[in-house]
Order: sequence, then structure tokens, then C-alpha cells
Amino acid sequence: MNKRIVVVLSILAVVVGTPPVSPAGPKNDGRPDGGTLGYGEYGRPSTLDPITSNEMVSLRITELVFNGLVGIDEKQEIVPELAERWEASKDSRTYTFFLRKDVMWHPKEGEEAKPFTADDVVFTYKIMMHPKTTTPLKVRYEFIESVEKLSDYGVQFTLKRPILNALAKFSFKVIPKHGPSHPLYLTREDPFVRQPIGTGPFVVKTITTDREIVLVANENYFKGRSHINKFISKPFADQNIMTQALMFNAIDMVVLVNPRDIPELQGDKRFVLQPYNALSYAFFGYNLRSPLLADKRVRQAFTYAVNRQEVLDSFFNGQGTLVSGPFAPGSWAYNLDVRPLPFDPQKAVALLRQAGFAPGPDGTLQKDGKKLTLSLKVPIEKESEAVKRVVLAFQNYLKNIGVAVKVEFKEWQAWKESVFQEHDFDIIFASWVFDDSADISSLFHSAEIGAWKNNFGGYSNPEVDGLIVESKLTLDHEKRRTINRKLHAILAEEAPYTFLWTLTNYSGYHKKLRRVAIHPYKFFSFADEWFIPAADQK
Amino acid sequence: MARLGVTLVSALIGLMAGAASASDDAVVRAMRLYEQHHYEDAARTLQADLPALNPTSRAAAYLTLGMIYLGNAELHRGLHEAGITVQLDYLKKLVAVRGAGGSRFVNLYLGKTLLENGNAGEATKYLERFSAQRGLEPRYKAIAGASLGLSHFLGKNAQAARAQWATVDTADPEVQMALAAAYSQAGLKDRDPVGMGDAALKKVGSSPSSRMLENLLTVYARAGLTDKSLELVKLADLKAASYTEALGETKTISFYDVAALGDLAAMYRQASVRYLEKAAADAQIKPTADYYLGAAYAEAGEVELSLRATGAFLSVANAPLPQRNRARVRYATAQYLQGRRGEAMAVWETLAQGQPAEPGLLAEILLGCARAKAGCASIEPWATRAAEAGEGRKARSLNIALGRLYLLRGDHGRAVAYLEAGRDKSNKNRIESNDPVMLVNLAAAYYRGRQFSESLEIYFEMSKHFPVVRRIQEAMQGMYAMEHKSAGDVKIF
Repeated sequence: MNKRIVVVLSILAVVVGTPPVSPAGPKNDGRPDGGTLGYGEYGRPSTLDPITSNEMVSLRITELVFNGLVGIDEKQEIVPELAERWEASKDSRTYTFFLRKDVMWHPKEGEEAKPFTADDVVFTYKIMMHPKTTTPLKVRYEFIESVEKLSDYGVQFTLKRPILNALAKFSFKVIPKHGPSHPLYLTREDPFVRQPIGTGPFVVKTITTDREIVLVANENYFKGRSHINKFISKPFADQNIMTQALMFNAIDMVVLVNPRDIPELQGDKRFVLQPYNALSYAFFGYNLRSPLLADKRVRQAFTYAVNRQEVLDSFFNGQGTLVSGPFAPGSWAYNLDVRPLPFDPQKAVALLRQAGFAPGPDGTLQKDGKKLTLSLKVPIEKESEAVKRVVLAFQNYLKNIGVAVKVEFKEWQAWKESVFQEHDFDIIFASWVFDDSADISSLFHSAEIGAWKNNFGGYSNPEVDGLIVESKLTLDHEKRRTINRKLHAILAEEAPYTFLWTLTNYSGYHKKLRRVAIHPYKFFSFADEWFIPAADQK
Repeated sequence: MARLGVTLVSALIGLMAGAASASDDAVVRAMRLYEQHHYEDAARTLQADLPALNPTSRAAAYLTLGMIYLGNAELHRGLHEAGITVQLDYLKKLVAVRGAGGSRFVNLYLGKTLLENGNAGEATKYLERFSAQRGLEPRYKAIAGASLGLSHFLGKNAQAARAQWATVDTADPEVQMALAAAYSQAGLKDRDPVGMGDAALKKVGSSPSSRMLENLLTVYARAGLTDKSLELVKLADLKAASYTEALGETKTISFYDVAALGDLAAMYRQASVRYLEKAAADAQIKPTADYYLGAAYAEAGEVELSLRATGAFLSVANAPLPQRNRARVRYATAQYLQGRRGEAMAVWETLAQGQPAEPGLLAEILLGCARAKAGCASIEPWATRAAEAGEGRKARSLNIALGRLYLLRGDHGRAVAYLEAGRDKSNKNRIESNDPVMLVNLAAAYYRGRQFSESLEIYFEMSKHFPVVRRIQEAMQGMYAMEHKSAGDVKIF
């Protein structure tokens, strides 16, 4: 082969065959690179991928590791991520995304990094919607009719109908086609969910024997290498210890400060407290499959029986506010006319009588010879002193009206299996955290009853189903708001949960961390911009 | 100012000869509520006890009431400003929705809100658009007519205003009341808005609508009928919508009139001045009353009166130094507003340099300077350094003042950072622990930065004590619903 031909072939190989070389490198913004950020988490994630997870601990990790086609910036604007631009058809049913050509997947161990292409986008959507995939995301993407690869760097989604905020929905995280071991679906057994690869600013490096997750900066991140070298997620079984770890410099950041520790941190000039996560609330959720809990009067009685304000004041120093329904008070959907039910144990007893329960020989209520004895399952990660006290108080309040509750603490994964897979519980204690959409459809629509779906209690009400569907179909913001206010009122009355409170949610971090912006829901969305001055780097 | 006030009044009570212990209790009880920013409860408690107090204690009670109403006036002024901003944003979004889902009433309320914001020209356009719609109920067309007349009047077209008002048929007491309110807002005392309002109220009997009560509040507040205004507020459901428009089974829009927030602020200002003036009639209490009167007049925009009252306080030889310094700041602010800028700046700078250890005074200087719309360029760096060096609670007021300064400048990120530094995070939304004016400022900063949920959280807690904030909450929820961008995610933990 003569020299000229070799040169021409080499050029062709670059143009056609070889993946584009990422121009990524340092950000060159004058801020220093380096340093390690150790952050305290209140639990261990069961999975590290964005598809199978339905918990906050995982969400935070996936935010560091993956990207969506689009992102949402601090000003609530849709910004390009994996897609450098997009076009929407006039009828708002077709969205065409033009993908960046400079994005590489994190390399799998022992392999070369592969380029990100349209195949990965199509693959992610298909695997997300596959019936065998374990995910709570299907309900969110049922509005998509089809997805089509237009080219290696072009992909088109066709919607069944136009929807509100359609573009924001394309912020779902994209996973690599060459990632999961099964080409069609993803389950929690797939090795990918514990050792994922993404396109994001950090690469999952190792999971230590202490279950710490070590992530290192992605040198080829398409937005420029993140300033901080290493993130280490450190799980704490007890929130009480987490703040102490921060105070003694064992970690640099706490994702959620125990409300009791806020005064101590606020008084210490080394730290910054930043509020976030306003859209969350705690609840006792009921399994409506249990004949004992099927009657709404029983569930209402439980809410009347618990002095929620007293519990909030006693165990959380009053650092929160009672909620009356399925939305947080900071949400656009909260119905301001629905007041929390008052503490009224006499009313509770009367409701239980109306529901056919009468005291048995030992004082416990019973109906048709069956005692009103219930199991309450609590994840062990919630086993902080305050939570223990809450569940014991609940047990005691219910005992006062003749209801026996057995409290059982379970390890996080086992608890999730009991609740979401086996539905083997009567009552659970947990919290939901919402993004700005305040979307409760996966929690209360009857189509969301089933294994690993969010309607764990099996709540079913045709009126609620109808309103949820209408809310999803409408393109009218005010109509959607009115519908959600109605849903709030109905669910407050139906009491599938005893809605408890929204707590004061603060993250705490050391002042050496600079340019810290925390996404109110996803937390680490802007973490690649954070930096530590050279003098403070460990 | 609350803590300082409690100390002052407690000291006064101790000094006052012959004060009975029961009456001390009444004032102290009210003071405690005032310190917790429970203004309504504080005033109600003390007003109820007032007739039973002996003359000596009554002066202290007047002083306390003056302070309580002053606090409430400042808060409602803040709410009024916040309410106009949020309502205008929301209504402008709504008015852009045309066609089947569009509101018929949004033009009316946008027009009224623009009027409240001083945009008479723009208001006219929307009010005319509202009135031009076919099939309107005559009542609402007439109500809009009253506002339209006002917008002409405020737009310096008195002839058009009179012509417009002449077309308004006042047979309906609702309409009569709306017209009385419009006359009040135009300052037309010769039209006897008070007589018109009272007559309209008499016609409807015992169950006036919230809309009527709000219009009557406008009339009374602008006529300076403080007692009648205060009584009226007790009857009104301040969280009630002015109008709820049903657009099908699953769409309703509630409209609120933000003018009520301004009227409440005016009413509390008047009440504050009135009680402080009464307190000042007592020789022993006069210096303290003058101190607060200076602030109350400043709040009312009465610069000359503020100068006079503050000057009277400063002429007292043994006034405590912290209050004296604050009074000097206020005096300088009034001077600046009168055009004596050099003198004012010299006082601010001297005090700022001389008292670096007292962040509270620096905060007052910064706020005075901001209120006067002075540059603050020389003072701000001292304040920033002092805030950074300051420890916890002590530096709180300074951080808050810096936050307010940045909010005024439109730097919402810095405003949030400083206001958060001044916030008691252990009870982040509780008015007992945080000055509600600061919370309103913080909510405004978060709102501007599109962190709607943080802002709504603040108002949610505040609404438990001040139901009138519903008119901000509803509009903000509407903005949030329209503006947020998110995928619909939910996670368990």
C-alpha cells in the first residue's frame, strides 16, 4: 500500500469508524481541581442505577454518574445535556433530539470506553418500559408512543398525546446498551445495578467492605472534568452519629441534618446549612388488602388517635409542620382549605365502633372474633432515636383506643421486599420525596398496584383514578391544579395513609466546599462545579 | 426591635409609680406576644384589658399597643409589596391564556392589581377589556366600572373618571361599596365614601360578602377611621377569595384583591401613631413613645414628623445609648430624605466606624441607608466584614440587613445567602423565632430565584397566624404550577 493510500484510509477511519475523541478535560474556569468530598448518607442504596431504584440514596448517586438528554438548571430552565439541541413538532407530539458527539461512556473494567449514541437512548427507553424490568418509572413514560433512531446521533420520540412539561420528562437518565447483562430488561439481580457505568461527572470506582461508595472524577466528562477528585458516600445507620462525624471532620457534608442537630451546626461557623427537599412528608401507610384496614373509618380513627403535633414537638423539636393530605405544604398542589385532622381519641373510638369493632376480654378491639392486631414495619435505616420514639408513640396512641400494634424493624432491602414486593405488612412508616411535579399518580392510581410499584397499600378508587388520568391528560395548568386540590381533599378523607408532617430539611456542609448549589430534589445535579480551595484539600 | 422594646417597656413599668400588678400583667402578657410576633393576639389581649387599667398603666398599654401595631404595619407593608409582585406575575400568565380555557375575570383582577401597583394606564386596558366582554353579570360590569373610573382618575383624566363613574348604577349595595372604595382611593372626600359605604352595608344587613368588607376597609382606612377599621377586620375572613370563577367541573380559579394588604398596612400604621401619640401624653413615657413615634411616622412616610419625634427623643439627656444611636440613625435617614445628604452620610459613617462591635446598629444604618435609597457604598464593606466576623445570634440582624439590601438590588442569590445566615434554622418558618418581615423578604428572594417550594413553606407557616397571606399563597402556587420543570419523580426514604 502506498503512503498516500495509507494516509487517506487513516483519515477515513477517523471520520467514519473511530468514536469521536472527547475534547473534555479540565474546566479551565480558574477554579482549582483536587480534593475529596466525603458525605454522610442515612442509608445504603440497594441499587446504583437510575432505572430500578426508587429511593433517595440511590438517586443522589445516579445524579453523579448519569446524564439525561436534557437537564434542568437552577433557574428551572431546560438545558442541553446529552442532547445538544432538540426540535418539537407543531402539534407537540414529536420530539427530535440531536445528540452530542463527544460523549463517552465510563469504561468498563478492562475495556476501552465506548461512545454514547442514539442506540443507548432507544435501549434505555425500551428497557425501562419492558414488563420484566423492575422500575417505578413506567407510569411516567406511558405517554410515549414510540422511539426511533434517526441516525447515530439523532433520535425521535413520538408521544401518544401532547402533555404538560414534556421536555422535562426527557431528563430521564440514559444507561448504556452495553451495560446490563440482559439485552431486554433490567432487574435488581443484574450486576449492572451495583457496578453501573454512565456518562456523568463521576465514575463508580469501588464499594468498600464498609459499604462506602467511592466515585472518582470522570477525566473525559463532556462538560469538563469536575473540580473535586473524589466523592465518597458513607452510610450511617443512625442519623444522630452523622452530624457528629461532620463536627469531627470525618466527613465534609451531611445530606440531611437531623433536626435536633440544627442548632449545634448553626452555631458553628465552620459549616453552612442549606435548606432543600421541601417537598417531602412522613406517613403511616396502610395495607388496604387487610380486611381490618379496608374500612376507611378504621384508618381515619388511627389518624384521630395520634396527637401528631405532640409527637412532632416532642421528638423533632417541633421542626416541621403537619400535613393534611398527599402533598407537601411547599407544593403548588397543596389544598390550603383542607386542615389536618385534630387529635380526638374519642372520635377515634366512635369511628371504630361504627366500623363494627368492640372491646374483647383483654381490652383489644375485635370484630367477628378477629382481634385488631396489626404489624408495623419500619426500615432499620430509620432506626434513629426520634423514629423509634415516633413508632413507639404511635403504638401507644393506638393501644389507648384498643388497637394492638407490633413494631418490627427490618433491614432496608428486606423492608422494601416486604412492602413493595410481598406486600407483607399492615402498616409502614416511611416518607416520600417529590420533585416539583408533586406527581402522586404512582402512589394512588390502581394501575400502580403490583410488585415493586409505588401503590404498595393497594389503594383503589375509581374517582381518584379518573382524576389522576384527567390531570395527566390536561394541558391546562389551572385545571391540573384544581384537580390536584380535589385529589388532596379526597385522599385526606379516604386516609390510605395517616399523613404526618414535613420536616425541616437541611443539608450541612463544611465551608471549605465552594460554589455549592444543591438541587432541591436531586441534590448533586451541579456537583461538577463545586470545588475545594487548594489550601483546604486533603 | 422587638427585644429592645420589651426591655424598654419592662423598665418603664418598673419605674412607674402606683402601677397595679394586674395591669402590669396585661402589658407584660401583650409584650410577650409582641416579642413572639403574635401581633393580632397581642393587640386583642391588650385592647380587651384596656378599660380595666388605671390611668398610669394605661399609658404603658398605649405605648405597647403602638409598638404592636407598628410591627404589624411593617409586616403588612412587606406583604403588600410581595402580594403585588406575585399577583402581577400570576395574573399576567393567566391573561395570556385565551380561548376555551381562558378566564373572563382575570382582566378585572389584573386591572385592579395594576392599579394597586400604580400602573393606571395599563390597568385601564384590562378593565376595559373586561367590561367589553359579552354576557357579563351587570354587578361585575359595574364593579369594573368603578375601578375603571379610578384608573382614569389616577391617570390624570378626571373628566373621563367622572363620566365613567356616572354610568355606575349603585342600586346593588356591592356596587355601591365598590364605588365608595374607588372614591376613597381617589381621595374624593366630597363624594362621602364613608356615608356610601355605611349605607351599602346597611342595605345588605348581617351577611356582607368578603368583597364588600374589603372595600369597606379601604373606605375606613383611607378615612383614618382606625377603630372602625379594626372592628371590621375582626369580622372579615381574610383568607376568602374576592371571586371564584368556575370554568367547568374540574377548573376553578380564585381571585384575590391585594389592595386589602395595603389597607391593612395603612390601618395598622394609623393605629400605631394614634396609640403612640396617646402614650406620649404621659410625661414619664414620652421619651420612649417619641422613640417609637419617630419610627411610626417614618413608616407612614411622614418625614418631618419623624424628624420631630426622633429629635425630641434625642434631646432627652439620659436616653440609653443603644436607643440613642438607633435614633441618630433614623434622624439621619429623615435628614437624607429631606435632601441633607452630607449631614446624614456623616452620621451614618461616624456611627458605623465608631461601633463596629455592635452588629445591630450597623444593621440599622444599612437599612436606613437603603430606605433612603442612598448609595451605602462606604458602609456596606464594613457591614459585610462585620457579618463575616460576627458570631451566630449576634450577627443575625446584620446578615438580615445585608440580605434586604441585596433583595432591593435584585441580587436574589446573595439575598438568600445573607437572609439564611440570619434565620433561626431550628425553627426556620416559625414567626416566634424569626421576624416575619425577614421571612417575607426571604420568601421573596426564594420566589425570585424560582425556589417556589421554599417560599411557599414560609407562607404556609405564616398563614396560621396571618390568614391574609392566602392571597400570596394561591397566586404563588399558580406560578409554581406553571413554571416548574420536572419529570414527575418520587422516591421513598
